[in-house]
Amino acid sequence: MLLPGLFTGSWQGRAILIALFPLAVLGIGIWRRIESILLLGFPSALLVPVAAAPEIVASYSALRFAMVAIGLIAYLFGASVFASFYEPVKPVSSRQLSSASKPQPVRWRRRFRVYHGLAILSVVFPAVILYAINFNDSNQAFMKQMFPGRAGSFAAVVNLAAIGVWVLMYSTFFLGTLRPHRTGDRDLVADLARLRRDARRAKPRPLFYVGVVAALAFMLLLLISQLK
Amino acid sequence: MKRHFFEILALLLIGGSLVFFVQCVDYLSRRDYVAAIILMFIGLAVISVGKEMARLALVQKD
Repeated sequence: MLLPGLFTGSWQGRAILIALFPLAVLGIGIWRRIESILLLGFPSALLVPVAAAPEIVASYSALRFAMVAIGLIAYLFGASVFASFYEPVKPVSSRQLSSASKPQPVRWRRRFRVYHGLAILSVVFPAVILYAINFNDSNQAFMKQMFPGRAGSFAAVVNLAAIGVWVLMYSTFFLGTLRPHRTGDRDLVADLARLRRDARRAKPRPLFYVGVVAALAFMLLLLISQLK
Repeated sequence: MKRHFFEILALLLIGGSLVFFVQCVDYLSRRDYVAAIILMFIGLAVISVGKEMARLALVQKD
């Protein structure tokens, strides 16, 4: 934020205070060790100088986008570790638990693989969506053709919508899947029992008939709409 | 025998639903959004029927 602004001459006079605002937020976050400020407050505060001087991000190439994305991801991982890492008080004496000497159970190894996969996907998904909106040539050309003179504003709205959809997807399909994995979850046990009961039934469920009727009805609708 | 019948039917239905999704993308590229949405719903309905057939095949296996 600081360097591009200094290069374009945006931080003259009192405007430099706007550029320093994110640093102040970061300082408070580090000083108080508050996760919400470090993981949400500081990245959001970076948008304040951008809103005040949009020309500092006017000519973002795909390479600069990739560098900023990598920097942000590295920061989020680092801040997450920093916020959750507390040095415990050194105990007077310690004794190793018997389970600590045993190899890690298969189910835990599998669970860690799932966690790693989700962490990778949570980086890949938003990066690909943002790249497709802002740097894909055909999408850019289409936006310029459909909204001449307002393509930038439209792209900003689509970016916001994409972030909203991604947050929804993440909370529903990523965190939502992990939540019931807690050991002894009563709702999950009840769901599994119901699934087992359903699986033993050798007859189609009502969903089958609904699917057949819906498929036929939509095919008829398509035929009618194409004949008109 | 019954199990193989259900398995083949499930494969055909799930594979057939993909054809509807491909057609949906084709209609989207032609800017015929209504037809694309209808095709998407057909694909979803067919895939749910295929899923049910796959479940019945699994029950036969047990």
